[in-house]
Amino acid sequence: MKVSELWRLSSTIYREISFQSIFSLRSGATLPQRGRTSINQLAKRAKTNTLISKIITSIFIGIFGFMMLFASTTTMGTLEPLRESALVGAISAFLAVVLFLIIIMGLQVSTTMISSKIVETLSVFPLTREDTSKVVFLCLIRIFDLPLITATLTLLVTYAFLGGSPLGFLASLLGIIVTGIFALTLTIGLAKFFYSKVASGGGRSKWKTLLRIIFMFVWILPSFGTYIVVNFAVEIARSFTAFTQTFSSTLQLLVIAYPFSFGFLVSFASSLQNISYPILSLSIAASLAYSLLAFYALRWLTRTIRRMGAAGAAGAMRETVRDTIVKPRTPWVGIIRKDLRVASRAPSLASILLLPAIQTVVLAIAFSSFSEVGFSTAMGILTGMSVTMLLLSPTLFSIEGLGSAYTLSFPLEKKTLISAKTTLIAFIYMLSLIVLSAVAFLMGRDFTYILTFGGIQTFSILAASMIELLIIANKYWKKGFSLSNIYAKLPTYIMILLLGIVIVSIPMTIAFVTYILMEQLTIPIFLISVLSEFMLATFIVTREK
Amino acid sequence: MEQLAVTVEGLTVKYGSFVAVDNISFKVRSGEIYGLLGPNGAGKTSTLKVLVGVLEPSTGKIEIFGTPITDEVGAKSQIGYVPEEVVLLDSLTPREFIEFVADIRHLKASAVNAKLERLTTAFEITQCFDTPIAALSMGNKQKVAIIAALLHEPKLLILDEPLIGLDARSSKILKELITFHAKKGGAAIFSTHIMEVAEKLCTRVGIINKGQIVGDGTVEDLRKLVKSAEGSLEDIFLKVTEQETGMREIIRALEEE
Repeated sequence: MKVSELWRLSSTIYREISFQSIFSLRSGATLPQRGRTSINQLAKRAKTNTLISKIITSIFIGIFGFMMLFASTTTMGTLEPLRESALVGAISAFLAVVLFLIIIMGLQVSTTMISSKIVETLSVFPLTREDTSKVVFLCLIRIFDLPLITATLTLLVTYAFLGGSPLGFLASLLGIIVTGIFALTLTIGLAKFFYSKVASGGGRSKWKTLLRIIFMFVWILPSFGTYIVVNFAVEIARSFTAFTQTFSSTLQLLVIAYPFSFGFLVSFASSLQNISYPILSLSIAASLAYSLLAFYALRWLTRTIRRMGAAGAAGAMRETVRDTIVKPRTPWVGIIRKDLRVASRAPSLASILLLPAIQTVVLAIAFSSFSEVGFSTAMGILTGMSVTMLLLSPTLFSIEGLGSAYTLSFPLEKKTLISAKTTLIAFIYMLSLIVLSAVAFLMGRDFTYILTFGGIQTFSILAASMIELLIIANKYWKKGFSLSNIYAKLPTYIMILLLGIVIVSIPMTIAFVTYILMEQLTIPIFLISVLSEFMLATFIVTREK
Repeated sequence: MEQLAVTVEGLTVKYGSFVAVDNISFKVRSGEIYGLLGPNGAGKTSTLKVLVGVLEPSTGKIEIFGTPITDEVGAKSQIGYVPEEVVLLDSLTPREFIEFVADIRHLKASAVNAKLERLTTAFEITQCFDTPIAALSMGNKQKVAIIAALLHEPKLLILDEPLIGLDARSSKILKELITFHAKKGGAAIFSTHIMEVAEKLCTRVGIINKGQIVGDGTVEDLRKLVKSAEGSLEDIFLKVTEQETGMREIIRALEEE
């Protein structure tokens, strides 16, 4: 079959994977029963969502890549050795960012690709095994096309803009191609890992549960890595540069580590002055070795996709079952337990639940450069923490969308559901405060202000979460709910978040004004305003059936 | 004394401008197994989804053992439901899922575990109890949904195509369980395309076509309706749903190809 025909066929498969990827989040929800238009709209929305995700990743790569490459190489001084080191740092950091961003963008859709048995469907058609393999590979390319093209163009255009040499241009091209292949391989590898160890892993024992949580952490590490990379893009590039400058010649053996080997290669190819021939040789040897590794990775990639796709869910673990005993609790505890169990197997949910704690670390590090962590700095950190917390309500509620075509038949009161989710949010917020205390302790800073105001702020966050949950519950109770559903209804989503922001901002504004007018009354006034909000929200929710 | 288990009056379900269920009314008494039959897309599933509270009716009055469905918790507590398309919380294992159902329904461990052991043994699902639902076969998923529906000993069973995907043994056990449930004074509404099963199992049947009830009663009552002293439920069904017209010609044409 011609490549053009295979490319066209891969488009259909890609559309199906995108659809399944988006709507796996609403598995079992009450999809519209009638009206082809509605289903068509959902399919179009899935296509648009995937495209938006690709565009956002591409924009991130473009902006952060440019910032890292340009800022770090222009601010590090103009002396040649410094400039060369800066280039090593900038190229290495850029390649690392591309690797992380592509992995995080592709994980959800790649996991769907592996679990959807799409290859099995293809095998029914009159296609050779080789053609089937090609279609799947082209499909993989379609998933990553925009980010990969953007990454390549960003690196090459910025490099040319900085006045690089033709040889350096070729070295950059080699670096980005190898990085692209590594990113695809790692994405599929992690997706396969997730599918075999987390998604299809059952088990009852505490050890199995612990193991699943550890696997989940391993799986979502790249997302946190990306988050930190995005927050500290320029700092990372500078650190990479400082790293290459400060190390002794022995430690310049860093040249054999990816992505530094390509950073050194591009740097040497850009300027042939002050060359250390042993390091140049090492960088060439290491880059060739990584290119060879990329070649083998590519072969593994095509084989794996075909094999995994055909095997599908059949490879799921079977446990030895000793009994069928269950331990029922109250509905309230049952919902929390179910949410945690579902989240422990869904990376998109787990990463969002852990986001507040990670965000807190990022904020604490960012604000630690201030000479004193006083009232205004504390409020700055709390604002950031609060906004992240407000994202949790829609995410937690989206779990109710899974299987809602069935679970809506359960005799569950709205207020029970809301109180369970709010309790979970309180736990997550407490976790953020604990993480904050740990960071403060490790950095030797006095975070008393943040912890005091953060502790009081808990009630305001709970009030905002309750109101957010109530609106979502009332709006979607009968329609089946999901994360994709709420993202697709962006104006509703933004309105809900804005309302939450208003609720958490009121006591903070009151505290600010009090601090300016009567500093000694700040804490009591702040406490009274958050408690009032909390009681009002609780009153509204308890009236619900 | 027979009690009214389900009262449906003037039920209409619309999806946008499309009317899926058009002003239907029927009653089911305790001790009855009511079969809801109809061609694909006739409105059976929409009707059952309204009864269990998954869908909201456009208009109509519904009561479950005297409790209006507007009292969601009160009405839903009395129902055990098996949906047509079994999509449960797929990432959970059957044990975790059943535990969640027991939590929501306020069930006590002592009562639930004894019943659970009997049901898992009867449906031969014990070995899958700690395997994620996503990895189970369609039949095993169906069994998990059936167990979840029976666990709280509901007064009303609503089963939407419950036999699809079940092996012969499980199918037989389920049919016996439904019969026993009705004998004990419970009620069941049962949707199926298998006419032989409906004929043997159901006390009464309601035939729904294009959103409207076109026949309601015992098989004998329906025979009178179509003015035929003999004939199976399948023949009656094809007549009342007007699907018989031209069918023989179509089959002949297909055979001649």
